[in-house]
Amino acid sequence: MILILAIILPIVTGVLLPVMRLKARARNLYMMVCTLLTSVLVAIALTGDFTQLELISLNKKLSISLHLDDLGKVFSAVIALLWPLTLLYALSYMKDAVNQTSFFTFFQMSYGVTLGIAMSANLLTLYIFYELMTLSTLPLVLHSGSAKSVKAGLKYLYYSLGGSAFAFIGLVYLVYFGGGTDFLPGGLFVGVGSQHTVQLQLGYLLCFLGFGVKAAIFPVHGWLPTAAVAPTPVTALLHAVAVVKSGVFAIIRVTYFSFGTSVLEGSYAQYVSLALSAFTIVFGSAMALKERHLKRRLAYSTVANLSYILFGALLMIAQGLYAGLMHLVFHALMKITLFLVVGVFNRRAHAYYIEDVRGIAKALPVLAVVFVIGSLAMTGIPPLIGFVSKWSLAEAAILSGGLLPLLGVSALLISAVLTGIYLIVPAVTMYTRPPVIPAPQKVESGFYVTLLVLSAMIIALSFYSAPLLDFLYQTALGAI
Amino acid sequence: MEGLLLLVAILLPAIGSLMVVFMPWLNERREERCFFVGVIMVLECIVVLLIALDAERTLVLFEMTKQLPIALRSDGTSRVFSAVMALMWTISGFYSFSYMKHEQNEKSYYAFYLMTLASLMALTLSGTMVTMYLFFEMMTFISMPMVLHSRTKEAVAAGIKYLIYSVAGATMGLLGIFMLTPNIASPYFVEGGSLLVEQLNLPHTAFQVILLVTLIGFGTKAGMFPMHGWLPTAHPVAPSPASAVLSGVITKAGVLCIFRMIFYVIGPDYLRGTWVQWTLLSCATITVFMGSMLALREKVLKKRLAYSSVSQVSYVLCGVFILDTMALDGALLQMVFHALTKDALFLCAGAIILQAGVTRVDEMHNLGKSMPWTMWMFTICAISLVGIPPLGGFIAKWYIAEGALITSTPVFSWLVPVVLLISAMLTAAYLLPPSVSSFFGGMAQGEAAAIAYEKKDPPLMMMIPITILTLAILLLGIFPGFMIEVFTSLANTLF
Repeated sequence: MILILAIILPIVTGVLLPVMRLKARARNLYMMVCTLLTSVLVAIALTGDFTQLELISLNKKLSISLHLDDLGKVFSAVIALLWPLTLLYALSYMKDAVNQTSFFTFFQMSYGVTLGIAMSANLLTLYIFYELMTLSTLPLVLHSGSAKSVKAGLKYLYYSLGGSAFAFIGLVYLVYFGGGTDFLPGGLFVGVGSQHTVQLQLGYLLCFLGFGVKAAIFPVHGWLPTAAVAPTPVTALLHAVAVVKSGVFAIIRVTYFSFGTSVLEGSYAQYVSLALSAFTIVFGSAMALKERHLKRRLAYSTVANLSYILFGALLMIAQGLYAGLMHLVFHALMKITLFLVVGVFNRRAHAYYIEDVRGIAKALPVLAVVFVIGSLAMTGIPPLIGFVSKWSLAEAAILSGGLLPLLGVSALLISAVLTGIYLIVPAVTMYTRPPVIPAPQKVESGFYVTLLVLSAMIIALSFYSAPLLDFLYQTALGAI
Repeated sequence: MEGLLLLVAILLPAIGSLMVVFMPWLNERREERCFFVGVIMVLECIVVLLIALDAERTLVLFEMTKQLPIALRSDGTSRVFSAVMALMWTISGFYSFSYMKHEQNEKSYYAFYLMTLASLMALTLSGTMVTMYLFFEMMTFISMPMVLHSRTKEAVAAGIKYLIYSVAGATMGLLGIFMLTPNIASPYFVEGGSLLVEQLNLPHTAFQVILLVTLIGFGTKAGMFPMHGWLPTAHPVAPSPASAVLSGVITKAGVLCIFRMIFYVIGPDYLRGTWVQWTLLSCATITVFMGSMLALREKVLKKRLAYSSVSQVSYVLCGVFILDTMALDGALLQMVFHALTKDALFLCAGAIILQAGVTRVDEMHNLGKSMPWTMWMFTICAISLVGIPPLGGFIAKWYIAEGALITSTPVFSWLVPVVLLISAMLTAAYLLPPSVSSFFGGMAQGEAAAIAYEKKDPPLMMMIPITILTLAILLLGIFPGFMIEVFTSLANTLF
């Protein structure tokens, strides 16, 4: 019951927003309350143990159902934690912007849809919510209505539709050979085996490429840097946390809970996907280095980091999934922090490019420090969280042995050096060069609160993450 | 709490640094700030000395994950390295109280100076590979602001080059740490290494390639070929006391990491006789030769000293890579004497720049007449660096050379002494002429007597540290017994 409530509440409140015609302050309050309420519902859902909730039954094998297992809890927790914070930020950011009502409507609805993805009990439900996510986030990309936004939105749409088509074919394979779309630990074929492993592996690969659009794997990553044109709360939350992590989440579901490691391990499907993710790690980092536009640089960085998660998951061992999930959580935190800082630079200092943020530490010292913390964490400097997840990924790769995982470790390290260059060098120039941009406008406290809370979380988790890591490990073990 | 002293050694300069930044009452008058920094450093030396006299202690700071403890341990190597570094840091610190009067932004200089000391102490006291990596990275980031202190475009570019090389080198080292962790018996450093050779989860060749990459990566900080490119750019551009500690102390941090990896994780027996050892020896000997050649060509004094560091630190690495007790003794001796000597030389260079405005060696003629004390110290240090007895540099190089000769390492057992000899001659060529010309600089007989040179020796606060260092080089060169004893007993535990 709680599950459906948690999903419906934001969607309904979002839809009601334009109807209610609230003034700015009342609307902000309304948004905050509804979002917090949803997060509370999710928190309650996390503590309980809920059996599957069937919403609509299409036929004997296919239904739309919700279920919150460990993996879903991890994803829901991340979303529920970061959404209210980003909303607080967005309320300051979108002040004086046009079309705020439509923005917040779709912002709110996307929350419910993302929770739907997290709580899906089978691939069909996930697929439906996945499509809904494309539709609910598209207006956010298009928000400013400029030619660039329209182009970005259309690119996002075409890529997503293409991806969904591939994923759908994979889904059909699953139903045909597996008899259903349920998510079971170990997949639908564990213990049962199948004579059609080659076709299944092909089906998996199609699913991988299909869901991989949202997970920004090379070669279907192209929409993400272009989508950086959207307002920062959108890029931060949706394109660094919700949308892209949904892609990764879907791939993890499909790998461990649908097709299963017993079918995929050691197959060409695993090798192809591992190779693609290892390549994307280096490719994303290299493109980020070339890119001078701050948000696009961070977008390419996201492309690379998503493949860290996928790389871990595709090793098909518990340690690998554990490491991948760790990076899923940690990267969400670090990347959202970086995007939100850059958002303030964009909005209040009109600094959009690397050259523009030179010397900005004088005018905006607190924000510069937050950027430094985020950069150090992303590069993987111990003891910050980025190091722990990179270490676990390397550990898992070495454990699984073989050439491809070892190449993956090299990819991780090359990416780390590149990350250091494309994030820390700008951070240094913030302090050492004379300022380029004239004095920024006043930065509201809403920005500071969000960013300081996020930074505090990064630092706190760096030193004390044992309960979280234990839960992630348990989740990983449960998936095999 | 066991090991509390170790924590104090790290926190004392760290808290001192934070106080310099945040306490307004410390920054009202620069004399108060300098006094405070001086007190902190002297206390730090006392703490380090206490650690050296105490038994070996371990302290786990926290656990990153269950298998990754971040822990400190004060074993033999820690005590040697931490003592050398703390003492060098203090002496250069006292010099800077006078020198930095002429630079801007003293507050940030001392803050980063103390914080770098804290991270260096933590590095030397690290008890596991991951702890070492953590503090190694931390030290890179905290020392970088000292490089770009003057905020000129050149300095900032040099700082960024330092950063990129260091991060690349540390990442190469991290690769090795990843690969070694599942193959060693204990995450802690174990004398003689704890590699489980029979159960390697990689084919040996692949493993050895990774070890090579790792050691070259850590060699970046020590300026070893091929990762030496940052050193001649970064060291000269910093303020002179910072150059002194960069060349004299921070390069030794790179040596420490290599030392730890070879003697406390991999074990010298695994590497001895392998192509990895030969490659490393090649890199080190190339660096020794190349550094001296480039120093000879270089006319700017501080850059010449920087190239000299590139060469001299690789003497240490030659001694290490021979993988034998006597050569290791020599390496440690060279480490101490190079730290003392290069520190003093850079401090002299700073005095020369400040008092006489001279930055190039071809402008140094007759400097000895106006700055006799400084140039005498310079000359004594130069002689030590060349390796002429009875000064300290000689005994260090002797031990390395003889240490190489008595082993059965093919080619390198004679090549290392030959290269050391050639480098000694080059060192003489690039250090002694400026020295000599400063005292007997080209002027006709009659004129020299007639001109009265204004005495421009720097103030006592700058001269006393230089003199202390030079006296140490002299005394320790004549009476090296205590040091040799300590180093030999350390070396014996490692083989």
